[in-house]
Amino acid sequence: MSLAKTRINPALDANWRLRAFIANYGVYIALLVLLLAAAVLTPKLYAVNTIAVVMRQASQLGIVAIGQTMILLVAGLDLSIGGIFIMTSIVVAEVTNGRDEMVIPAILISLALGALIGAGNGVLVTKRRVPPFVATLGMLVLVKGATQAYTRGVPGGFVPEVLDIVNQSWFVLSIPLLLWLGLNALFIFVLRGTAYGRKVYAVGSNSEAAHLSGIPVDAIRISVYILGSCLAVVSGVVLTGYVGYVDRFIGTGLELDSIAAAIVGGTAFVGGRGGLLGTIAGVLIIQILSTMAILMGLDIEVQFIIKGLVILGAVTLYSVASTEE
Amino acid sequence: MSEYILEMRNISKSFAGVQALKDVSIRCKPGQVYGLVGENGAGKSTLMKILAGAYKADAGEIIYKGQRREGASAGDVIDSGISIIYQELALVPRMSVAENIFLGREPQRAFGILDLKSLHERAAKLTARLGISMDTSLPVSELTVAQRQLVEIAKALSQNADLIVMDEPSAILAGSELDQLFRIISSLIAQGVTIIYISHRLDEVFRIADEVTVLKDGELVETRPIDELDRQTLVKLMVGRPLDEIFPQTDHEQGELVLVAENVSTDTILEGASLELYKGEILGIAGMVGSGRTELARALFGADPLTSGTVSLVGEEGALWTTPAKAIESGLVLVPEDRKSHGLFTSLSVRVNITLPILSRLTRFGIMQSQAERAIVEAARDRLSIVMASSDQEAQYLSGGNQQKVVLAKWLETDPAVVILDEPTRGVDVGAKFEIYRLMRQLNDRGIAIVMISSELPEVIGMSDRILVMNNGRIVGEVAREEATEAGIIELATMAGAGAN
Ligand SMILES: Nc1ncnc2c1ncn2[C@@H]1O[C@H](COP(=O)(O)OP(=O)(O)OP(=O)(O)O)[C@@H](O)[C@H]1O
Ligand SMILES: [Mg+2]
Repeated sequence: MSLAKTRINPALDANWRLRAFIANYGVYIALLVLLLAAAVLTPKLYAVNTIAVVMRQASQLGIVAIGQTMILLVAGLDLSIGGIFIMTSIVVAEVTNGRDEMVIPAILISLALGALIGAGNGVLVTKRRVPPFVATLGMLVLVKGATQAYTRGVPGGFVPEVLDIVNQSWFVLSIPLLLWLGLNALFIFVLRGTAYGRKVYAVGSNSEAAHLSGIPVDAIRISVYILGSCLAVVSGVVLTGYVGYVDRFIGTGLELDSIAAAIVGGTAFVGGRGGLLGTIAGVLIIQILSTMAILMGLDIEVQFIIKGLVILGAVTLYSVASTEE
Repeated sequence: MSEYILEMRNISKSFAGVQALKDVSIRCKPGQVYGLVGENGAGKSTLMKILAGAYKADAGEIIYKGQRREGASAGDVIDSGISIIYQELALVPRMSVAENIFLGREPQRAFGILDLKSLHERAAKLTARLGISMDTSLPVSELTVAQRQLVEIAKALSQNADLIVMDEPSAILAGSELDQLFRIISSLIAQGVTIIYISHRLDEVFRIADEVTVLKDGELVETRPIDELDRQTLVKLMVGRPLDEIFPQTDHEQGELVLVAENVSTDTILEGASLELYKGEILGIAGMVGSGRTELARALFGADPLTSGTVSLVGEEGALWTTPAKAIESGLVLVPEDRKSHGLFTSLSVRVNITLPILSRLTRFGIMQSQAERAIVEAARDRLSIVMASSDQEAQYLSGGNQQKVVLAKWLETDPAVVILDEPTRGVDVGAKFEIYRLMRQLNDRGIAIVMISSELPEVIGMSDRILVMNNGRIVGEVAREEATEAGIIELATMAGAGAN
């Protein structure tokens, strides 16, 4: 209707536009500011080697954060990621026992087990109506316990040589980075350009309305949990290749970092709002901050404090930007 | 003190680049009823939210009880004697009716301990004054939208305000509930209370208002005493052109049977409902608040599991559905009454809202065809005159009536055999209402059968080919269009004992 169009006056309401700007672009500006600050505080960050390391670590976190973001979009949460990492590294070591030709079967088995864990999370959350926090935390404990029972505390097997490929980089390019970029491209497209992506947002925005619109709400939720777990497996394989042996504490902390990255990137905790571009920036912010802290020789506790402050700051900013008046 | 209790002078407000109000002034004397009317998105609710302290005006001043008001918070405003019944209901779902009514003003004993007994007694008194029988200890989430509306009214009354704003309080009330509301309004004005009454039902405005203010596109058109206005003039002031308010009819014969429901009951008040629906007709469902109309709609749609009976589409033997998804697949759609919690995706764009049910048509190999999508959204916007900044705007920022249009538009794009409309024109302005009626008839002409639930009796009578009347969970009668009168329907709908087990 012409009337609707004539009433739009972009020059109006500077305050509103500032809020919208912060909500939409705040995270990119924060990233930019951080990069500038790094140039002054820790110029070493810009050494090619350091960049390569930062990007490889960012990729690790970033691949997990893709799944975490999608789970947050359906108003869920996944805390079981650490368990999936351990499971993956044990499966890779045990199944291959150092044999390169067994890598593919090992990855497939890990993916299958990951999918099973994800499905478990999803079923608990949808069919049994367990809150995601409780369900996935329980799953974390369960999977960790199962891996310990299986290995009796002494994991066996060897990580095959071929996985060392993840440690190679050409300038800053590396397999993990390419994987991260490729998976991002894929899932950004899925979320924005496919019917499935629409349904993910719809379920997170208003699950009752989605149900009444004929969307299979439970199936969408479960599928997103499965996706999240499978992405964690991918990241777990990369990390196993990096570490080179089976580590009982592998991947610890990634579940919280991935949630932090998504939230800092503007994905709402209550679902239905946000996306992967913001998460990419969130991942970079978190990774650069950690690296800067290390370069500055700060204690690990101080690093945690900084990370905490960044998350709280971001959340406060978003909530201020989105409240009306 | 001046003779006005409230003056709002030269108020302007803009959002997101949309000028919602421009230089609007109103003033009110004590003991009068002011009608505030205008098309969807005209700025009525925004003006009242500014009065409530929920939004801050960009410009203008508010003079209340002779004093210029500066930066008052929503709490200050309530304390100063203004209470507002919001269009989008603002109750806490998990709290009981009584707790909601006295939220923040709970009766207390010593040491701040809640006086639950007095809470419930006072709540019961208030609901009795509204002439509604309601268990005040029930959580609000278990009430129908209409019942929640009544709780909102009770809440406003409990605040003993000097000025009460009612933003479409009647949107889904009918018959005796409406009479009760008007009786309360008369007793309030007798006590010197001022009422600002927003409604798209112009008969109500003529029935109770002393003066009417018309807004259009955020600007003040005129304020006039009601006796200097007639309906046609008022409509013309609102819409900007004369409008024929004639219910569109169909001339075709009754079609073949499409849907049969037999002895349907659910875990709700609904008990043993049977009906038949024919191609190309509109079957109206009338009844009081809580009579089971919405429950019937949900049962037909598969949203509530049936405890007895069957619903089936003719020709699709065995195609029984137990979920909305299957109902939609079989060709049945529902536009729910509770748009905020059942219909709208508030955090998503208007575009995404509208095309959600037709994704399969708009995708190739699962990939969205965005041009086709935009074309459909533009067409819907033009057809229903949806006022929005752009189709990428989040649905929550649309005015109430425009949100309703979005929810409707979403289903009109599907190609169903049966459409169930639960309060389809709730909060929709007169111009768009008749546009929706015309659309309904177009659906009929394509052979689509419509079940329409509405509290607005003129609409039920004007649009339905047959009317089923519900009372206390049962269908208590069928009225043919030729014989339908408001009085007759109300009598059936309120007859004591009718429908009781
Ligand atoms: N919070 C908001 N953010 C952005 N735009 C808004 C917001 N609130 C209202 N608007 C816009 O302001 C205009 C006026 O809205 P308002 O709700 O006052 O209309 P209304 O007259 O109450 O309409 P209705 O009859 O549909 O309830 C609309 O175009 C609406 O989209
Ligand atoms: Mg309004």
